[in-house]
Amino acid sequence: MSLDAIPIHVVPPGEPGLTGNAPPLLRELLEMVRRLLATGEASAIDLSALPLTPADLDWLRDKLGAGEISVTLQANGESTLNETACPGVWWVMHHNEQGAVTSQFIEVAFVPDLVKAHPQDVEIGSGYLELLVSDL
Amino acid sequence: MQGPLIDTLARRGVTRRTFLKYCATLASMMALPPTAGRAMAEAMSAARRPSVIWLPFQECTGCTESITRSHSPTIEGMIFDMISLDYQETLMAAAGHQAEEALHTAMKDNAGKYLLIVDGSIPLGQDGAYSCIGGRSNVDILKEAAQGAAAVIAVGSCASFGGIPKANPNPTGAVSVSDLVKDKPIVNIPGCPPIPVVMTGVLAHYLTFGSLPELDDKGRPKSFYGDTIHDRCYRRPFYDQGKFAKTFDDEGARQGWCLFELGCKGPVTHNACATVKWNGGTSWPVESGHGCLGCSEPDFWDGGSFYKALSAPADPLKFAAVAAVVGAGAGVAVSVANRVKKSAAKATHETTTLADLEK
Repeated sequence: MSLDAIPIHVVPPGEPGLTGNAPPLLRELLEMVRRLLATGEASAIDLSALPLTPADLDWLRDKLGAGEISVTLQANGESTLNETACPGVWWVMHHNEQGAVTSQFIEVAFVPDLVKAHPQDVEIGSGYLELLVSDL
Repeated sequence: MQGPLIDTLARRGVTRRTFLKYCATLASMMALPPTAGRAMAEAMSAARRPSVIWLPFQECTGCTESITRSHSPTIEGMIFDMISLDYQETLMAAAGHQAEEALHTAMKDNAGKYLLIVDGSIPLGQDGAYSCIGGRSNVDILKEAAQGAAAVIAVGSCASFGGIPKANPNPTGAVSVSDLVKDKPIVNIPGCPPIPVVMTGVLAHYLTFGSLPELDDKGRPKSFYGDTIHDRCYRRPFYDQGKFAKTFDDEGARQGWCLFELGCKGPVTHNACATVKWNGGTSWPVESGHGCLGCSEPDFWDGGSFYKALSAPADPLKFAAVAAVVGAGAGVAVSVANRVKKSAAKATHETTTLADLEK
């Protein structure tokens, strides 16, 4: 039985459901971007730790817009790392295998850590390449 | 078996990015700074399996049920494999003398280093005869096992605070772990049952940092129990707007308004249900339309009716702020008036609702 069969529909708080908690995040992002430029230090905002309604998130997402790069990661469910219209500001969403959002961040970085290959993994890759070359 | 965790995971086909992603989510749930995920991944990938002994006492096995449903195929389950669970009556294949031998071997081999997990309260009545395993009372077993433990993790409200066995009139003389064990660090993970990831989170913290997480005054990890249900509740805006469901089937209930007046104990209950949710993040009691029972607080079973509103509004600070805006004189008048109403209500055993105070 799906949840739709239960005749109760929870209406998200108020119309249009904006709590006013999203706009201050833009200021925080500005600070973080300035820090990235000044010191190269990456930072992130954990969206699931904040009292944001779906409408707040939509508002924020709408304001930040969409950038040129979208990265999709298939690892125990899909993750998307999308650059926003502000270069260096990434909207990161992690899903589990059932497709539910497990965590959501806005990352401020030149490249999110998750995208970079780890040296140890590169080493394993180089081993594999050596194997390929030796088979030539 | 004893290699770094990341190698064990790699053999199971878990990539580093999968693990990083898991750590990012775990850090988020543990309310650690977002960047902590990477540090956790680094530390955990090199971690080795600690020995864990799990003792069940006066309990219903609900906690074990909850933890084994640590959702999806998942790394939580794997991390569970990553600890060396040397004794767990419900999950272990061995029984009888073999099981008891496993317990004693683990205790001897890892003396001073193993983590002891306890679920269930410990009955002291009739010399502890109310609950025995292999002919020994729970209190005897606990004292022996705690002696060699690095730390004790009390899982569930029974082990943490006595729980339902301790509820009035407490026929078995049940007590909590912290009533008996005084010389070891104890982490309380209350809840009836606790949220699966809260337990795996504490274990992950131990694996990561080699220490136990920061605890509140009731011995609970601050990362999961630092906020009240009310603070993080998605229905909180309705509370702030004064929109309350008055019955379980009125317009307010259908609109998903605040359940405060229907007895929700969210304002006085510290737990992570509102953020972590249940059944793999599907839903949680308030989202299903029922107020919080307060199961992660001491003596929740004896706290009066689950359906009676808390007798005072949860956020006195908010009232203080309102008073300050209205002006000092008026503020004092309001608070005096409120106090009079409150004490009058106390005298007649009536419930003061938020609406009463705002009249």
